[in-house]
Amino acid sequence: MIGFIKKDLAMIKSNFKLIGILIVVYAVMGLFDKMDISFILPFMSVMIMISSFSYDEYNKWDAYSISLPNGRKNSVKSKYITTILMILLVSIITVIISFLISYINTKTINYEQILVTMFGTVFGTLLVLTFMYPIIYKFGVEKARIGIFLLVFGIVIIGSLLVNYINLSNILKSLVFLEDYLIIILIILTIIMVYVSYKISKKIFSKKEF
Amino acid sequence: MENILEVKNLCKKYNDFELRNITFNLPKGMIMGFIGENGAGKTTTIKAILDIIKSYSGEIKIFGLDNRKEDKIIKEDIGVVLDDMFFPEILTPVDINNTMKGIYKNWDTKMFFDYLKEFSLLQNKQIKTFSKGMRKKLEIATALSHHPKLLILDEPTSGLDPVARAEIIEIFQSVLEKEECSILLSSHITTDLEHIADYITFINNGEIVLSKPTNELLDKYGIVKCTEKEFLDINRKDYIKYIKTKYEYEVLIENKQVFKAKYNIAVIDKITLDDLMVLMIKGAE
Repeated sequence: MIGFIKKDLAMIKSNFKLIGILIVVYAVMGLFDKMDISFILPFMSVMIMISSFSYDEYNKWDAYSISLPNGRKNSVKSKYITTILMILLVSIITVIISFLISYINTKTINYEQILVTMFGTVFGTLLVLTFMYPIIYKFGVEKARIGIFLLVFGIVIIGSLLVNYINLSNILKSLVFLEDYLIIILIILTIIMVYVSYKISKKIFSKKEF
Repeated sequence: MENILEVKNLCKKYNDFELRNITFNLPKGMIMGFIGENGAGKTTTIKAILDIIKSYSGEIKIFGLDNRKEDKIIKEDIGVVLDDMFFPEILTPVDINNTMKGIYKNWDTKMFFDYLKEFSLLQNKQIKTFSKGMRKKLEIATALSHHPKLLILDEPTSGLDPVARAEIIEIFQSVLEKEECSILLSSHITTDLEHIADYITFINNGEIVLSKPTNELLDKYGIVKCTEKEFLDINRKDYIKYIKTKYEYEVLIENKQVFKAKYNIAVIDKITLDDLMVLMIKGAE
């Protein structure tokens, strides 16, 4: 399994520079109190990992990976683990920089706001992974791009219909008692989502023929 | 003799193509040439052996174990080269080494870098800068560097120039001298196989036409060249197929000695694998 992770990291290493540049841009913009672009960084790591699927597809790696020991299982597992590691690493770096910026600008650290922003971003990013990866495994990267567009479009349409027909504020008010547990609920929900997504992707890849 | 690979009644149906009852055995320590024209079913058979295609019927055993149930154990001891290039082009041979070190228990880093040196492949160059021959050599080096007991090579010499082909065939020969290894080597370039293959398995249109020791095939089989009158005198049971050329009949026979004793036809040529393929595929019955 480690081998598959190393291969994925080796494939995306040329993009590390891009992440580095984005981190610097983020830090500079933060210092001058411009726009907060911290959410872009973890999101970028998923997009970069998605490009690794393109490389695999283009170079016909998938068929070969099956001829390696435990290849069907480990190639899927490694994609999830590498992506999650990337997201966590970039998020930690972003949080540290955010703390520094907050301290330099205001002489205090706004822990709560920074952490909540980062939790939200990590949750959103993992949501993309959760939906995107099974679609990629099923239909390939190119079709998955169209798929994700349709998915987001569908969610927006359904969402706006729901807002029109359902009194959302009443529902939110009734959920207010959950507020204290929000972070924990979000973490549990994320873990479940990612796990289910992994299981689905593994199942799809275990039946795939090349 | 112990069989390293056993394929029994392998069937797989596509819309436009079908593998029918593929059956053959590869004995331990032998090289089997798996021949047939493009599209005959060589790659499909190899993909079934490696579990790259799944929905087939029949039984495949490698090292005596079921290829689907004991997948993980089996693949530790198989080295593979597929017909398409398969390494991501942006990786370098060093990346391949790091990857394989984390995949194969028996990965031998020293052996891998020794092969790279022997093949004059630069360690830190991206694969996309390599020529086709260099890429194949890298794939072969990778397939060899975990001391596999079985090598499965799908068209490893296809698309290469004669010098690169000869080099690659030489590599396989030297590997066999050093390691206790069996090889299934598919190719439509049959001249590559005549000198190194111990067995020839010939697949045509999704069916196995023959699977025999190479010596037996090249020594016993022959091509009778005769006139129409002579051909008409030959009993149907005594030949396999024939082709009518502009001037003569070329008749494929299974046993030169037996044929000579029975018929008084002077010209019986030795057969090459190319002749065999052409007569088997194009010949009439």
